[in-house]
Amino acid sequence: MTAEQALAGALQLAGLGVAPLAAGLVQTLKGRLQGRRGPGPLQPYRELRRLWRKSTVAPELAGPVYRLAPAVVVASTALALLVVPIGGQAPDWGLGHDALVLVGLLAAGRFAIGLATWDTGSGFALMGASRDLTFAVFVEGALLLVIVLAALAAGGSTDLTTMAAAAAGADVWREPAHWCAAVAFALVALAETGRQPVDNPDTHLELTMVHEGAVLEYAGREQAGLQWAAATRLWIVLMLGVALFVPKADGFGVQLAVTAVAIPTLCAAVALTETVLAKMRILRVPLFLGGGAALCLIGLATLLATGPA
Amino acid sequence: MTTALVAGAALVAAGIPLSLSRGPAALVVALVGLVVLAAAALGVLIDGAPVGAAFHDGVEPRLGLDGLSAFFLLVLAAAAVPAFLYASDALRDSPVRRPLTALTAAFVLALVGVLAARDAVTFLAFWELMTLVPAVAILVARRDAAVRRAVFVYLAITHIGGAGVWVAMLTLAHEHALGGRLAADGPQLLVLVSALIGFGTKAGLMPLHAWLPRAHPVAPSHLSALMSGVMLKIALYGLVRVAFEWAGPPPLWLGIALLTVGAVSALGGVLYALVQRELKRLLAFSSIENVGIVSLALGAAAVLGAEGEAAWSAVAFGAALLHVANHAAFKGLLFLGAGAFAHETDGLSLDRLGGLLRRMPWTGWTFLLGCAAIAGLPPLNGFVSEWLTLQSLLHVGYADAAGVSVAGVLAAAALAVTAALAVFCFVKVAGLVLLGEPRTPEAAAARERPVATRAALALSGAFCVALAATAGLLLPTLSALGPARPAPAAGIDLDLPGTGGLPALGLVVGLTALVALVWRVTSSGPRAAVAPAWTCGQRVEPSLWWTGAGFTKPLRLMLEAVYRPRREVRIDERPGIVVAVRHRSEVPQLFDTVLYGPALRVALRGAAAARRLQSGSLRAYVLYLLGLLLALLALLRLGVLG
Repeated sequence: MTAEQALAGALQLAGLGVAPLAAGLVQTLKGRLQGRRGPGPLQPYRELRRLWRKSTVAPELAGPVYRLAPAVVVASTALALLVVPIGGQAPDWGLGHDALVLVGLLAAGRFAIGLATWDTGSGFALMGASRDLTFAVFVEGALLLVIVLAALAAGGSTDLTTMAAAAAGADVWREPAHWCAAVAFALVALAETGRQPVDNPDTHLELTMVHEGAVLEYAGREQAGLQWAAATRLWIVLMLGVALFVPKADGFGVQLAVTAVAIPTLCAAVALTETVLAKMRILRVPLFLGGGAALCLIGLATLLATGPA
Repeated sequence: MTTALVAGAALVAAGIPLSLSRGPAALVVALVGLVVLAAAALGVLIDGAPVGAAFHDGVEPRLGLDGLSAFFLLVLAAAAVPAFLYASDALRDSPVRRPLTALTAAFVLALVGVLAARDAVTFLAFWELMTLVPAVAILVARRDAAVRRAVFVYLAITHIGGAGVWVAMLTLAHEHALGGRLAADGPQLLVLVSALIGFGTKAGLMPLHAWLPRAHPVAPSHLSALMSGVMLKIALYGLVRVAFEWAGPPPLWLGIALLTVGAVSALGGVLYALVQRELKRLLAFSSIENVGIVSLALGAAAVLGAEGEAAWSAVAFGAALLHVANHAAFKGLLFLGAGAFAHETDGLSLDRLGGLLRRMPWTGWTFLLGCAAIAGLPPLNGFVSEWLTLQSLLHVGYADAAGVSVAGVLAAAALAVTAALAVFCFVKVAGLVLLGEPRTPEAAAARERPVATRAALALSGAFCVALAATAGLLLPTLSALGPARPAPAAGIDLDLPGTGGLPALGLVVGLTALVALVWRVTSSGPRAAVAPAWTCGQRVEPSLWWTGAGFTKPLRLMLEAVYRPRREVRIDERPGIVVAVRHRSEVPQLFDTVLYGPALRVALRGAAAARRLQSGSLRAYVLYLLGLLLALLALLRLGVLG
């Protein structure tokens, strides 16, 4: 393991702790954009501390599946975090660095939460899970097409370190396909992390909840774990976006510097979309993600039309 | 090795007469036979050298076993051992225990026969037996009108489609290509198309699947497990033999055809599985999905082979075989689990179960494991083979030729969507069956099954985990059974070039350890008394319980164009008061309405027209004969008949 990989590994582990900061930053910036003072960026930590101390209240029906689900979500999210390289580098955690494994790990969390909602029997939780799983169908289809384009740019590889290396430099941006993939990724990322216009993480109305609805019954440490996992999911997607779709020069140091700038910028972008876009009707979400998929196919067509790179 | 194979088959065969006279002893004998067969098959697979006769074109019956047959035999044994264990328990109080046990042993023997046949006639004989025996077994177990109709549809469709198998096998024998290669100027098109139709029908590939969701649910559960887990795979075995060995190197068009059929089957299978309301029918549709995934992998192997990407063609072939084994493991588990639930409750209507995890913990937890495996979730075996298939499809997508590339990318996207739908589908299954409140008094009174059933389920579950952890070691062996070389040197980490690697074992260990750790931390916190689930201050009562239909409603609305659901709401109203509301909805089968319905109508109309010829009058028939004779003479005269 090189020194760069060791540093990247340390930063990945740091992500386990820093992830809620990104979510907090989005909240703060969103508050400012909407003319409020808004919570400080450290608010998620305060909430985690509060939840950590609170006692857990479980619904009457809930059994072991319900209580196991947060652990599965936290574990799979943590492992997913270790799959994504930082600055184009990542140590070998014995998990590989495959983009499709990342997708699979995130799906495992969704499965666990889906089961937990059935265990509670609560209508709101089930409604949330049902919508979450429905969106996932379209998200995974569009996400795969994004991965295909990024993998093609990397000469046919879904190794995230190779893909990140291929996405650095100016050359890759001469391909229209990469622009298409970047825009499509932005759409997919909003849906995957449960952000507006697909889902509203700040909603307090059960009927409009998607992800929040599915975890409505949880409290105490279990809820803390789930909140952490939701923030980490945002962090993972941001890191993935930085690795694959943020213009940057080659070189580990430069890439780390770009990452440090890009994360707050992307948080600001998320805050901006959440301010200007209202949540859409859930039946329109396939159209939203289908647009992303169509963009990817257009990108693929441009690649094929210009011949092999 | 030969002795062991013969001994194993003989023991299974001995189970047939024994079950008629002795009963339980027969199952033990057959089980021992299966284990012996599995050991011998494993020996052949590791050794690599075929035993017994080689394939030949003549009509003398010959038997033998090579690597590919040995692999499928191993899958058969691995699925049949749990099925027999389960049957020993499930059939205990059945009035038809003896004939059903005998028929099960006969069915397994027919499957072994297809795999061991080394000539066209033996192959076809066992092939027909394989179709007929389960039909008889289903009718022995149940004979109401609905079951009879299902069996009729099963036999009709598999026989009409099965003609393709006869055409393919006999043409190959005629061309001296059995065990060899079809000559370059041989009738490759005819052989491949008829094989695709013949084996495709039996494998349940869409649109030739119509029999499958009818026949599998009505069979006794251990037979459903064997039919879904193994019989469909034997059809794929035939397809692999013909398409990848005897008919010459698979051409590009065959690969594209397999990709198309596979994508339609995978998507169609899981889409219809999602909206089923009966557990075994749902599982049958999910079998169509999984056969579609295997077909996708085989298509990728063919396309990559034709494009000169030998290394990835080998990976794709290995992925197809791995998914065959995986599906046999988890689908067997799920069908046996379904059977166990059926014993304890009143039927398998999904909305009338619930809460069974608490009441049947062994069955429940293994069933849950099967659900996670079939949903393609890491770190279980379904994820590994779907990951390999997806990677192969992506490598089709990386091809230079535009058409091939687009086909690969679209197939990969279809598989990704299929995987997400499968997660949705099995969340619904596990939730409705295992979790929450029992929805009927019978479900509430359910008790754990005896030890044989639990052992059967635990064994299948162990296969699911073992197949995941050792996939990297299996892949080179499985790939080497196909035509493409070099077989991948994957290693336990599955670190294939062009991927980020899938260290399944690392994932198993990492996830398990981390889940345990987090579980300890979260559950050590303070715990308050339980409280009702939040329903805006109301209590959750039976009228508020969610149904499977409600859970899938958003998707059904979004995909209305595909599902075309029919919905009927009747409101009985006396002046001002609603007395009763009746709701009925169903999702018709698209292929039934647009393909089989019209075909059936045309066939019936044709039959009605033909009936006019059948006047029943002797003179008319003499006239027909005379006409035929004259026509033949005229044709002979014109030189048409040689």
